[in-house]
Amino acid sequence: MRLKISTLKYAFLTVTALSFLLAACGSGKKQAKDSDDLPDTDTAKTSLLNVGGEIISIPSPIQTAFLINKVGSPFDKSMLNPTSQLTSYSTKFLKALNLGVYGADLGYVTMYDQTQDALSYMNSVKKLADDLGVSSAFNPALMQRFQANFGKKDSMLSLVSIAYRQSDNYLKNNKQNDLSGLILTGGWVETMHFVTNVLKSKDNEEIKRRIAEQKTTVQSILKLLSPYASDKQYADLIAKFNDLSAAFEGIEIKYTYQKPIVDADKKMTTITSSSEVKISAEQIKTITEKILAIRALISGEKS
Amino acid sequence: MMGNPMNSYKYKIAMRQLGKGLLIFLVITFSSALAKAQCDTIANVCAKNMARQFLSDGQEYRALLLNSDETAEFHSTFYGGTTYRVVACSGMGDGNLVFSVFDSDRNLLFTNSDYKNAPYWDFKVNSTLDCIIEARLGGENQGSGCAVVLIGFKQ
Repeated sequence: MRLKISTLKYAFLTVTALSFLLAACGSGKKQAKDSDDLPDTDTAKTSLLNVGGEIISIPSPIQTAFLINKVGSPFDKSMLNPTSQLTSYSTKFLKALNLGVYGADLGYVTMYDQTQDALSYMNSVKKLADDLGVSSAFNPALMQRFQANFGKKDSMLSLVSIAYRQSDNYLKNNKQNDLSGLILTGGWVETMHFVTNVLKSKDNEEIKRRIAEQKTTVQSILKLLSPYASDKQYADLIAKFNDLSAAFEGIEIKYTYQKPIVDADKKMTTITSSSEVKISAEQIKTITEKILAIRALISGEKS
Repeated sequence: MMGNPMNSYKYKIAMRQLGKGLLIFLVITFSSALAKAQCDTIANVCAKNMARQFLSDGQEYRALLLNSDETAEFHSTFYGGTTYRVVACSGMGDGNLVFSVFDSDRNLLFTNSDYKNAPYWDFKVNSTLDCIIEARLGGENQGSGCAVVLIGFKQ
């Protein structure tokens, strides 16, 4: 009889353990990583509901595309990652990074009213999103709306931004913050590639300033990537970002606080604080080289 | 098999424990699903305050706050020459989330608690700055809840 009680206890422990195991597995979405290439991570750290801790934001690539357009830089297709590269991204790691890269390219071509290119990049984005299990964000309805809005730049950019926000939400919801971080990283690297390229043909203070202003974002990206450093792919990327971080070290940013002005009727605060940046030609050259090295690792493009 | 009253008693205890284990499992599973569903619903409500002229930054910031003393911290960069909209929500109505914006030196730039916990606010940024957005539960939402922050921009 002792044996039978032990068996019951064993059964109870097994069921309880299985229960917690199932709970830890979340909702069991089929899209969850199938471990072809990405590291297992501490689910507590990658939880959707980040309790208390710091939550990092990476500026949208579209913001920098706006700046490039604003300074009058001509459209330059050669600096984009060709869509023909798509089939060479076989791992989730590369797919996620290049979903970010193609998203930035999509923002850029849309900004310059290159509708055929926009469609081509949108299709590449959709393919990668499908492969990563975020097809719900880039669904057929979105694709139709995107095409229906050809020529309406603002609407096209709005649709793309919302789709990226939905995929970010989906990935975080399904404890795939690692993929979410890679998409943001890829998008950021591509826009840095744009601005450093633009500077080669057009000396512009606003562009130089924008490069210098990325000093904090480099640290933010390192924070996003570092939890996964045990994986070799991440380790290689992090090593290159550490090189890049070193290149940013000497950049001086002097911030001066000033009291903001509030217009309560318009629900608007004007932030009047100022910041001065100092970045040398040598620093820009080094940053350009480091960005090229990271981009080569991500996209296989050496342009 | 169950003839011995002692064994029968132990069997009942074991079954009761099994029942408790299953109950805990169900509570955890449903709580997790409910929290996600709650956050999704709040995010949809929140998105309505992001006017069309603002482009999303492509990210959604969420945190589960267990009480009104707990604070979620969001780090962001606001570029000069840009107007940003910060939308902050918790619960199904407006005014349930108190959010404050600080610069990196922790100078307070804005708090919606001065404006009846306004669910959104615009920031016209003259010069690029790194900022910290802090969010905590307020208004009617004094228990626990999902905090959602969205950031949009226009040139």
